[in-house]
Amino acid sequence: MNKKILSFLTLVSLLFFQGVTAQNSTVTGTVSDDSGVPLPGANVVEKGTSNGTSADFDGNYTINVGSNATLIFSSLGYTTREVAVNGQSTVSITLAEDASQLDEVVVTALGIKKSTKALGYSLTEVGGEEIATVKTPNAINSLQGKIAGVSISQNSTGASGSSRVVIRGASSLSGNNQPLYVVDGIPISNDNNGSASLWGGSDGGDGISSINPDDIESISVLKGGAASALYGSRASGGVIIITTKTGQGSEGFGVEVSSQVTFDRVDTSLQDFQTEYGQGLRGVAPANTAGALEAGFNSWGPAFNGSSVPQWDGVSRPYDYTGNNVDRFYRTGTTFINTVALTDAKEGLTYRFSVSDLTNEDIIPNSGFNRKSISLNTTAVLGKKLTQQVNAKYIIQKVNNAARLSDSPGNANVVAGLIPGNVNINTLNPGADENGAERQFTDNVFVTNPYFAAFNFRRQDIRNRIIASTSLRYEFTDWLSLTGRVGIDNDVIKRVGVTPFGTGFQPLGSISEQERRTNQVDADLILAANRDITDKFSISALVGANSNHRKFETLNLGGGEFIVPGLEDLGNTVTQSRSRGYSERKIGSIYGSLELSYDRWAYVTFTGRNDWFSTLSFPGKTTPNDDFYPSVNASLVLSDALEMPEIIDFLKLRGGYSEVAGGAQDPYTLGLTYQIFGNPLQGQPTGNISNGSVPNANLVAFSKSETEIGLDLRMFKNRLSFDLAYYSNETTNDIVNVATSGFSGFNGASANLGKVSNKGFEFLVSGTPIQTANFSWNVSLNGAYNEGLVVATDDADSDVNLDEPRTRNVRITHRVGERYGTIVGVSYERDANGAIKYDIDAEGVPRAVEGERKILGEGVPPVTMGFTNSFRYKNFNMNMLIDAKFGGQIFSGTNTLLYGNGLHKNTLEGRETGLTVSGIDNATDLPFTTTVAPEDLQTYWGEINDIAEEFVEDSDYIKFRQISLGYTLPAKALENVFLTNVNISLIASNLFYISRSIDNIDPESAYATGNSQGLEYFGLPATRNYGLTVSLKF
Amino acid sequence: MKKVILLLMMALFIGACDDGFDELNVNPTKPAAIAAANKLTAVQKFISSERYDNWRAGMIYQSTMMQHIATTAGYWDGDKYTWNRGYASSLMDRYYTGAIKTVEDLIFQLDNEEAPDEMKAIARILRVFAYSRLTDLHGDVPYSEAGKAVIEGIFLPKYDQQSEIYADMLKELEESAAALSSGTSNFGAADVMYGGDQAKWKRLANSLMLRLGLRLIKVDAAASQAWATKAIAGGVMTSNDDIFYLQHDGNNRNGISEVFAADGNPRMSKTFIDFLQNGNDPRLPILAARRSDGSTAAADLIGFPNGLNTVMLTAMTGEENTDNYAEPNRAILAAFEAPMVFQTYAEVSFMLAEANVRWGIGGDAETNYNNGVTAAMQQLTLWSADAAIADADIAAYLAANPYDAANAIEQIATQYWAATFLNEYETFANWRRTGFPTLVPVNFPGNETGGTIPRRLTYTENEAAVNADNYQAAISNQGPDILTTRVWWDQ
Repeated sequence: MNKKILSFLTLVSLLFFQGVTAQNSTVTGTVSDDSGVPLPGANVVEKGTSNGTSADFDGNYTINVGSNATLIFSSLGYTTREVAVNGQSTVSITLAEDASQLDEVVVTALGIKKSTKALGYSLTEVGGEEIATVKTPNAINSLQGKIAGVSISQNSTGASGSSRVVIRGASSLSGNNQPLYVVDGIPISNDNNGSASLWGGSDGGDGISSINPDDIESISVLKGGAASALYGSRASGGVIIITTKTGQGSEGFGVEVSSQVTFDRVDTSLQDFQTEYGQGLRGVAPANTAGALEAGFNSWGPAFNGSSVPQWDGVSRPYDYTGNNVDRFYRTGTTFINTVALTDAKEGLTYRFSVSDLTNEDIIPNSGFNRKSISLNTTAVLGKKLTQQVNAKYIIQKVNNAARLSDSPGNANVVAGLIPGNVNINTLNPGADENGAERQFTDNVFVTNPYFAAFNFRRQDIRNRIIASTSLRYEFTDWLSLTGRVGIDNDVIKRVGVTPFGTGFQPLGSISEQERRTNQVDADLILAANRDITDKFSISALVGANSNHRKFETLNLGGGEFIVPGLEDLGNTVTQSRSRGYSERKIGSIYGSLELSYDRWAYVTFTGRNDWFSTLSFPGKTTPNDDFYPSVNASLVLSDALEMPEIIDFLKLRGGYSEVAGGAQDPYTLGLTYQIFGNPLQGQPTGNISNGSVPNANLVAFSKSETEIGLDLRMFKNRLSFDLAYYSNETTNDIVNVATSGFSGFNGASANLGKVSNKGFEFLVSGTPIQTANFSWNVSLNGAYNEGLVVATDDADSDVNLDEPRTRNVRITHRVGERYGTIVGVSYERDANGAIKYDIDAEGVPRAVEGERKILGEGVPPVTMGFTNSFRYKNFNMNMLIDAKFGGQIFSGTNTLLYGNGLHKNTLEGRETGLTVSGIDNATDLPFTTTVAPEDLQTYWGEINDIAEEFVEDSDYIKFRQISLGYTLPAKALENVFLTNVNISLIASNLFYISRSIDNIDPESAYATGNSQGLEYFGLPATRNYGLTVSLKF
Repeated sequence: MKKVILLLMMALFIGACDDGFDELNVNPTKPAAIAAANKLTAVQKFISSERYDNWRAGMIYQSTMMQHIATTAGYWDGDKYTWNRGYASSLMDRYYTGAIKTVEDLIFQLDNEEAPDEMKAIARILRVFAYSRLTDLHGDVPYSEAGKAVIEGIFLPKYDQQSEIYADMLKELEESAAALSSGTSNFGAADVMYGGDQAKWKRLANSLMLRLGLRLIKVDAAASQAWATKAIAGGVMTSNDDIFYLQHDGNNRNGISEVFAADGNPRMSKTFIDFLQNGNDPRLPILAARRSDGSTAAADLIGFPNGLNTVMLTAMTGEENTDNYAEPNRAILAAFEAPMVFQTYAEVSFMLAEANVRWGIGGDAETNYNNGVTAAMQQLTLWSADAAIADADIAAYLAANPYDAANAIEQIATQYWAATFLNEYETFANWRRTGFPTLVPVNFPGNETGGTIPRRLTYTENEAAVNADNYQAAISNQGPDILTTRVWWDQ
């Protein structure tokens, strides 16, 4: 259906196209520099219109213009020239170099376009084509490895899952650390709509994933506080400004079509299990069906010997390795992304309208999602002084059976990863018997048949989201304007989850339905002035007010125990529950900014903002509910101010200091409240305290201050450039949920004394080693180091506990004086010399003694790097990206269970003759050496299994992240067809690791994207992705 | 024009910045206070708790350690004395954030409202009961400082020594009993256990005093006798009408019944079935049924040996099909509305019998023994009318299994063990106190206790990290946080 609509639209567009272009005459030519080298990408614009094009890789251009037109030729670093066409059909020109023009215009806070010269802080802009060439379902993942200081963790949450983006280290212990996303001037919600915890669950995706990658014109990353002061408290984690494409610059009416297909295949090279011993317990293979059910995941049987051994389904099969079950279970995932856009620019009105469809089939059978988005951006000049912009996006997303992660119930990944080698996972298919009941292959009801999990469990998210904004700009004079802007982000997710009738751990099944409504309205009023006071001195100033109002409501319905099987409906349940959640918060602000510049080489900018937080307000509260915070930054273009050696084209120093404040994230955390339970007991109402965490009536705003200095240097006619930055920031009065003993009645208490510091540096070196007419090679290396420290939590230096995985022997913890988010877990008990202590049990089996819980690693890698090479040969181009993270650790739940179940290679030793173990006898404190009998290895490893220390390893990696090979049809080939631009790219992602420290798992495979990074427990396995992108313009 | 703009800006700047914010941050879905009566009903529900801890601490650990239940399922750790920390701490993980948090808040409110003493007494008795379960199962536990994060700002409560907890619990019971008289308390029908009947609460306070007093028998026999004497003098339960239990309903289900609904693994232990078979016990067809077909014919009811996996089971018995063994009789016991029983008249009768044997108090031992057996058989009608046992059958049982003065303590304790089936917390405590019935430990390969029946369950794992100093102090006082460490009264 959808494809048909797209084809239809395309055809209609084609007809349109013929009618429009027939009226114009065509001018072609070449743009080159003084020495005759072509200038690819040079802009050619028809003067007085928005009609324009750019030169291809050979400097050739083609443009349709009126016969009296004047063409304006421009290219970065060259002087601009105007040439009258005068009826010629060929206009070839040369442009002279202009070192003083080494200046770009970028989008900064509040959508203000600024020259990079004026920026006193670090800002990185990525163009839309980088995101559109290798599209990922969540566009933000395309930035991975590309921007120094921006850490992106996609983790193993599935194609529709959320991503974690952190800029310059996390600065809040308990709060949100992801950046603020501003789309076309409007902050959008990036709430996580549910993620897996130690008890399992699915990832419900995040807010930013709604944006269609083909619609993105550019992404600006404002890393520091200076850049984000104008966005206020929500920007304390930095700001990512996404500008979507408009009709501006299109040559009259145009059509763009873009299609991509990618295939995802599990990267089976990651797993390296033992393939010599099969299902069984204590060296004995199952003797009957009950024995096979009992043995379940245990690969503690004898060596494969080909004998006939009963399996879970009562069938006896040869006791041999049957092949890779991971490869068998997961299918090849596919993703199709198709976008058609119509653009037009005419007198007083430009617009771009796009329709997009994304259809994904994920690697777990029967899971996937579809996202349709419609986007319309228009700019209308309503009068001489009044301009209006309207941006609207409508997104319909339907996610089917997002993979369950973490704990085993309903999680197919657990079985695929742990099933003994002699059991072919295909024998578990179908997952249900003829009555619809789960075919359980172990006696542990909490382990779900993976086919039952995939085909019988049901979860569906249907999301309808509207992001719309309008702005009106009135220009009083050429230097004074007033802009009003209102944006709305309305997101409704309807979620259905079914645990089917016949499920092992819940024989009668259950159903839940949830509706999540998020509504955010953001309004700004800005008065701005830009004025040259003298020849050299100019002022740019603004004052504004902002109101942000957010409401979140959930309606939950639950039904337990289906009355008759097969009808998965709330009405068909024995017990019903219902609840409603509601929260509402507002932030009111006033702000101002003043930029002074001198002679276009010295700039200084001051900002100030005061925020009022409803989440810090409460009747009778005596502490303030608001905070004021200032910033100042400066930029000196030394290459303009002073004489420089010839090799230096551009040198700028920048620096700044900023503060940004923030309130409590969630409303209603200041007071004690009660709840009445939904079901009275024998008709009597029941109720108790609803707070799980101790409230704090005196919360005040937290504050983050940052100092940043940086340098921007370009040399050798722009062939080599450096961008360096150093920053240091500190969050004070962080609002922290400190750990309490559950025996206090509460799991945590709200404190307001947290302190976190981050220090780090970022570098970007880029160069063009080779640039000739036919061949060029660009290379860039970016890197960042961040040291995040927990300076304080509360008066007592309490730990702040974050998540723990299902093994429950390890937890991500903030500890005073340590790195942000350390991995704290059970260690080996050791003697003074570091030798491991064992209890020798009655059978003589040494059992590792659990030592104290101590810091075993840091979950967030401090070093991130990206290395890009781009080659162009004539009309071919190739891009390669390698990225790396170093210095972090990860706890592997998979390896823990592989040890305990005897599937890990390290458990092979001694299976026939016994394993020699030496250590310290805990009872006598004397050394011992003993041989663990083969049948006792299960006990021995089962005890090691509890020691988290054994399973925390470096998460370092260097990954060949991405490669694309593209071909753009030469302009000549398109002369006689209606197309103006055709590009085809072959793409591949995540092909292999150049190096990797941890075995059996992907080092990026955390199962959730919150502040607890560094925990792995049966998320989706890593995939390799291959695909093809085609884009057409006409 | 400029004036208009300026006015507009002023309005935004001053008027809109935090107008109405105070009211906005009051949660419209949650009240700031509720009636004490609502909290009382909640405490009664929290004491019965939910499937989570009834499954783990109650059934998986204690019912199998006490050989009421047996299974081959590997995660039923109590059957084989293996260790699952999360299961072992499940009661405390639920009780402190449920029953304890709410009962402390309730008592705080009653104090603030200057409520009548009998209302406070009822709340205090419930608090003692909740703590007695916690301390009997774990030993030293947070008591004086627990559940008070909001009331007193204590985030890391200390672990009180069990000796001190016992002293305070007995004092609380004594004071509460004294505060109760007759008539109905102001809780009225919100008291879903006794309908506000003060006299029943008073008898409960004394019955719990008798139970806790007898717990001291090994560490302080004199105190044990003194408290038992005081309890008996104060008046203990006199009939099955006094049973301390919670009647569940369809929306507030019995947690143990939910275990049976979710878990097909438990079988009746051979130890328990053999006891019922050997005594020709009329409770046998009420408590047990064959898994495969629900048959309750005595010949079909085979007990399941503890401490085996299926390979061992087959090797030992030749039987491969675990469905041929007896399981708890779902037709009688597994209704979601089933009662959750905390203390019975039968238990009280057996304790009186024991007190008489030991100290000559509490009335004739044989009469009390007979009363206990009779009450234990009659109380099953709480579960189902189908569970009624004819008086003649009871009489026949007593005739065949008469009071044996020479062996009284063991006989009484064994009957207590049978009578507390499903109230496994009490079964485990009384077995540790008396040493009876004599249970033969299992010795499954890889077990955690060296083949001895555990003497306690372990603490919540993350206490070692979060509440480290207090946790370590408890270990210093009591011994390592393992299954074989004995609590104070079990020394």
